[in-house]
Amino acid sequence: MTAQLLTFYLFSGVILISSLMVISTKNPVHSVLFLILSFLNAAGLFVILHAEFLAMILIIVYVGAVAVLFLFVVMMLDFKTSINKDNILQYIPIGILIGVVFIAELIIVLINTKFDLSNIQVLPNPLSDFTGKSNTEAIGSVLYTDYILYFQLSGVILLVAMIGSIVLTLRERVGVKRQVVSEQLQRQGKIDLVDVKSGKGVDI
Amino acid sequence: MQSLVYILPEIFLFIVATVLLVTGLFLKKIKLINLLAIFSLLVAVFLILNQPFQSAFLNSFVVDEFSLVLKVMILIGSIASLIMFVSSKDDLNINIYEFPILIIFSTIGMMVMVSANDLLAMFIGLELQSLSLYVLAALNRNSLLSSEAGIKYFILGALSSGLLLFGISYIYGFSGNTNFNLIAVNINPESLGLIIGIVFVLAGLAFKVSAVPFHMWTPDVYQGAPTPITGFFALAPKIAAMGLLVRFLFNSFGEIYIDWQQIIFFISIASMMLAAFAAIAQTNLKRLMAYSSIGHIGYALIGVACFTDEGLRSLLIYLMIYLIMNIAVFAFLLSLKRNDGYFENISDLSGMHKNHPLRTMLIALIMFSLAGIPPLAGFFGKFYIFVAAIESEMLFLAIIGVVASVISAFYYLRIVKIMYFDEPKEEFDGSSIQSLNLLYYPSSILIIIFFIYPSPVINISEYAIQSII
Amino acid sequence: MAHSIILLPLIGFLISCSLSFFKSNKFIDRAAEIITSLFITITAIFSFYIFIDNIGDPSFVSIKLFNWISSGSFNADWSIYLDTATRVMLVVITSVSALVHIYSVGYMSHDDSKPRFMGYLSLFTFAMLMLVTADNFLQLFFGWEGVGLASYLLIGFWYKKPTANAAAIKAFIVNRIGDFGLALGIFTIFIVFGSIEYQTVFNNVTSFKNVNFNFLGIELHALTLICIFLFIGAMGKSAQLFLHTWLPDAMEGPTPVSALIHAATMVTAGVFLVVRCSPLFDLAPVALDFVVLIGASTAFFAATVGLVQNDIKRVIAYSTCSQLGYMFVAAGLGAYGAAMFHLFTHAFFKALLFLGAGSVIHAVHEEQDMRKMGGISNFVPITQLMMIIGTISLMGFPFTSGYYSKDAIIETAYLSNSNFADYAYILLTVGVVMTSFYSWRLMFLVFNGKTRMAEEDLSKVHESSSVMLIPLIILAIGALFFGFLFKNYFIGYYSDVFWNGSIVVHHEDHHSIPLLIYYLPAILGIAGFIIAWFMYIRKSDMAKNIAELNKPLYNFLLNKWYFDELYNSIFVKPAMAIGQIFWKFIDGLIIDGYGPNGIAALVSRISIKAKQVQSGFIYHYAFAILIGLSIIITFIIFRF
Repeated sequence: MTAQLLTFYLFSGVILISSLMVISTKNPVHSVLFLILSFLNAAGLFVILHAEFLAMILIIVYVGAVAVLFLFVVMMLDFKTSINKDNILQYIPIGILIGVVFIAELIIVLINTKFDLSNIQVLPNPLSDFTGKSNTEAIGSVLYTDYILYFQLSGVILLVAMIGSIVLTLRERVGVKRQVVSEQLQRQGKIDLVDVKSGKGVDI
Repeated sequence: MQSLVYILPEIFLFIVATVLLVTGLFLKKIKLINLLAIFSLLVAVFLILNQPFQSAFLNSFVVDEFSLVLKVMILIGSIASLIMFVSSKDDLNINIYEFPILIIFSTIGMMVMVSANDLLAMFIGLELQSLSLYVLAALNRNSLLSSEAGIKYFILGALSSGLLLFGISYIYGFSGNTNFNLIAVNINPESLGLIIGIVFVLAGLAFKVSAVPFHMWTPDVYQGAPTPITGFFALAPKIAAMGLLVRFLFNSFGEIYIDWQQIIFFISIASMMLAAFAAIAQTNLKRLMAYSSIGHIGYALIGVACFTDEGLRSLLIYLMIYLIMNIAVFAFLLSLKRNDGYFENISDLSGMHKNHPLRTMLIALIMFSLAGIPPLAGFFGKFYIFVAAIESEMLFLAIIGVVASVISAFYYLRIVKIMYFDEPKEEFDGSSIQSLNLLYYPSSILIIIFFIYPSPVINISEYAIQSII
Repeated sequence: MAHSIILLPLIGFLISCSLSFFKSNKFIDRAAEIITSLFITITAIFSFYIFIDNIGDPSFVSIKLFNWISSGSFNADWSIYLDTATRVMLVVITSVSALVHIYSVGYMSHDDSKPRFMGYLSLFTFAMLMLVTADNFLQLFFGWEGVGLASYLLIGFWYKKPTANAAAIKAFIVNRIGDFGLALGIFTIFIVFGSIEYQTVFNNVTSFKNVNFNFLGIELHALTLICIFLFIGAMGKSAQLFLHTWLPDAMEGPTPVSALIHAATMVTAGVFLVVRCSPLFDLAPVALDFVVLIGASTAFFAATVGLVQNDIKRVIAYSTCSQLGYMFVAAGLGAYGAAMFHLFTHAFFKALLFLGAGSVIHAVHEEQDMRKMGGISNFVPITQLMMIIGTISLMGFPFTSGYYSKDAIIETAYLSNSNFADYAYILLTVGVVMTSFYSWRLMFLVFNGKTRMAEEDLSKVHESSSVMLIPLIILAIGALFFGFLFKNYFIGYYSDVFWNGSIVVHHEDHHSIPLLIYYLPAILGIAGFIIAWFMYIRKSDMAKNIAELNKPLYNFLLNKWYFDELYNSIFVKPAMAIGQIFWKFIDGLIIDGYGPNGIAALVSRISIKAKQVQSGFIYHYAFAILIGLSIIITFIIFRF
């Protein structure tokens, strides 16, 4: 038990610190690297909860694909972020004030509330025959049945995101010559077949 | 398979959207695609009207009277903005065939929102809706204002989604459920955490309906986005988010209404007063309409705060009237066009009754209606709301509402004054607004004749609320 | 058919008024005239058909058009309620209106806003029809206000004339007092009965017979209170004593308007209201006494004033006022049938007199002062004949329409044992002499004797065109024969069948009347004629001498018992003075200074501040969200 708790605090502590670093480092490449670190630790949290599949997905998708893509983009674009110090100083007091208020309030809330979820009524667990199934298999068995709506809607959201990014960035440049094969082939009347007499040449 | 019937309209719209997306790539006929989109939205209305009432997907998605009415209203809003798109696409530099498709995706999101009976469905619907709206706001790439509107809306929207998710995690943590009905069963009135969760979720939803103090994006986005999109912003998402808000509060937290009533109370008063004051100093019509819609949301929230049948009924009546009035207003904004340029400043209207007597008269009527002057529809919307507030002994709210509507009458009436009594300017184009007349005249007529025959609207709202109360 | 009766005038009004937006030309004017006249004529024919068709079998029909307001237990529909009383009113309204429409084509031929005029006339007709076909008090009130509006518009039709505007405003304001009473009456009905539908109210009236109602802390008999409120409304609309002052001034409007609105139809709406509510009035004896008292006093008062007036239209206006008094007496004595009968016949002969007067005015070049007429009988023979017919019907000459209806009222007064029956009988009988006298005085001053017109004007006097004369002739037929034709239905043998429960009918024994009493009205009427003839034809300076001898009395009558002056000093001047104080001091200095102007300045300052908050920076906006959120959470935590 203590080992589990210890790992939990370790992982979540690293997540907090690295998240803080994401927004405070000056170098964007470092930011992305810290982001990856926080993803990895989140995956660790999943492992503690015995959700191996989610942990692996997190690493493959977020770390392997998304964050690395981020990294590429950041490196290629070569950002030079220059943040105006005056501005930050101007807003630090009120920012701190709000932050302190929020934290204080959340602490009050936590103190005042009893966690007692022992006798609550919940949905019938769709994963009733969980035993004997692997993590992946169990998720798969509900993802395409009871939770199909969420699953598909998430897919629609991704589609919209794709359409959106294309719409906003794809532009047809004017003044650029493109090859249109069909038009080329349909051109007529511009080619003359001339019977060239030897030694005489043709007039152009 | 059986449960797919309950999301048939959504599935249908999704298929149409994808088919149109592919078609549009090869067939560069935006008008045709738009027409097909309008037609399929009409088909969706038909499908919705013929759906069986049921809840599906582990009771996370409900089809009932309430969702039916709101979905039809949302679809009307979407259709209206597609009609506005036809009339203005060439001149506003938004000649992009993805426009109707994005509108359809957004509409699907809203339909999921009003049917959502689960925190997850709520969040997914909201995100689908918002993501399309972010893109739409930035659609005019050549305009700095439009891009700025898109980025502002996106960033602040992400912030509000964060708040919403935070709230959802609280509610889940303190009640052990994400389903609205099960939350209601397991509610613990002593739990402060649950209430904090509600506050955060409400903050996220208030952002979507642009209620004060979560409204700051509204004026900038309304002004920056191309007008048909602004119209869409003002019409459909407000209704969807309002419906979601009602279902969320009434279905899961009806028992502890005393706690959230205070929050709605505060948001409502702040919206009404801020909108009334801030709108007076505006010179841009679209910004003015942004504040106007903030104010109207403030009035509508009174209906939520009442937590009675009366309040809910008056809320629905208000939303219906709001929808009609805004269709008319945005159709009007799009008709302010001269030599391929659009005019958005209040001063551009000066003396327009000399050149366009009929149009000016109608818009004056709509302004009177927005200001809530009897016997036009807008008056009755406010009237029912205030009566509901008084009956549930929220006298203070009613008084603030009346004061705010008196103040806001100033800026509506100023428009009328400028149109009628100031020096006339050049004529606006008359030819390009034929399709707008489709929106303009029916909505104006509805506003005018409402007082003669209000029963249908009242009956529809009665019908809708029976599944909530 | 019933639908078209209601709708055609409305359509006529809409078409005609939209035509009036165009620049006036011959074609548009003609179109407006033809469309409105044609539509009204069709409704008149339909109304007659409905009336005659149902005369033997007066079934009751109620057509619900659509729901108007439905709120809790309160329900009001737009509907067409056709019972006998409504059918009678339909005939009166549409036939007089049709004739007036046609007549106006001639009368207004020199006016340059004809479509507007015809449109207003149609609007009036529509509103009046809404009033009489209501099946609930709210629709009645709608029609009531609608006719008030149309009357206001038409009195002030020549809006460039200041006197016309003043008269229009006066009519509107005086009517407002009555309307307030009517509205209170309707409220009380709803509180007491819980409904404002005729059927519900009238069917349940007996169970509310002894109900008391708390009004201003006093327990009052509910039905009496309701009836008095309703009657105050009727007094305003029907120009009864104390609320009569607007009617003579309303003669500023074009003469066809006076004929239609201020003689035949609108002013009788009050009588119609009392008759319609006869089930209520019948159980409220105190209210009935009040009706008799006011009616009889008005009949007498207006007749005395009519004796000395010099304006041709004012004489007829006072006559109208007086005749309305007769109707109220009949209603107050429980003879609702007689009231309706007199309403019916009066509409025809009074419209005839007014239109005849219009024809005279037209002939003598828009002159209305009788002292500047005289001796024109040879120039306008048909008009004179028509006016004689109207006059004998008004004075109650045997076998004319007026004879039957007026006699019935006077006999009722004689036979009744109501508290004020004797008072009413005496005043009405005296009124008969005076009626006859002032009618013939008018005739003689206008047509006979030596002319008092300038020579060149006299030569230009001419008979009116046939479009004006034909309506006169049709009305004359009504004035002569309708009394005889319909008396058995309204008050006689068939009355039970005819009314079929739409009004309360009482039976009285008519045989016990002494012969002298029976013939007295006719004899007195002829006496009045003789006196008038003696004073104005035989010895034409006698009238002047009598006036000289009784100077104070003459002035008292000429100035209409000083009612206008009295009201002026009691109500108008103090109101103006108080208004001045409120305007200059309280409103201008205190309220404006600290209120609107002060607040307006404050609002614009706040508004600029509110605008400045909207800086355009995203992080400001994010801060706003977070600050708002933390305020709400703090509030929640402290409250918890």
